[in-house]
Amino acid sequence: MAVKVQIPAPLRSLTGGQSEVEVDASDVSGLIDRLDSRHRGLKERLCDADGNLRSYVRIFVNDEDVRFLKEKATPLKTGDTVAIVPAIAGGRG
Amino acid sequence: MRIPRALMDAILAHARSGYPYEVCGVLLGRNGAGDRRVDRVVPVVNREQDSPQVRYEIAPEDLVRVQRDGRDEGREILGYYHSHPDHPARPSETDRRIAAEGLSDGVVHVVVGVEGGKRAAPSAWVFRDRAAAFEPEPLDIE
Repeated sequence: MAVKVQIPAPLRSLTGGQSEVEVDASDVSGLIDRLDSRHRGLKERLCDADGNLRSYVRIFVNDEDVRFLKEKATPLKTGDTVAIVPAIAGGRG
Repeated sequence: MRIPRALMDAILAHARSGYPYEVCGVLLGRNGAGDRRVDRVVPVVNREQDSPQVRYEIAPEDLVRVQRDGRDEGREILGYYHSHPDHPARPSETDRRIAAEGLSDGVVHVVVGVEGGKRAAPSAWVFRDRAAAFEPEPLDIE
């Protein structure tokens, strides 16, 4: 199940500068584990100690937020595109 | 960071027109070796519901769309901009705290101070994880 994963710039120090990597995984949870086995430290940036996605991380499969699918159990198939997107917020107050 | 005058003018106009609310957007370009040049600016809706006068939020749904369109054009996200109505053009403690919690290392943030909805002044910053702080980024308006 080869899927393309788009890596945001702040995580590229962990992927050797690659903005897109391809991994074999059948669901989002497996994808995170495969990413971490190749790019050590990625899982810690994406998930908390309980393995849940951190609040500032969103993962999209073909433009659908996995929070509205099956979260980390969201299935993947060959040709899917996965985007890791940071939550951006702030302001003066 | 380099940015054409017309694009910076568009950011400042967005900040003025959105006053007294904060506005926000995405900076796209090609990230060469040590050379950041913005060549497209995409305004996005401030999704902050409770306090849009003092806070902003870029919805991930909006961001993934901007990211996809940018990639189709050979561009990537270099950073973001937001305004501070009646507040200085520098990152607030809220900006720093949220950046430190998130995925922000090396990302540019342009902050626009807007006085009374008229005078708008930009500044640029880069967040560094190692310092958990924003560092000033030279802003070259071409």
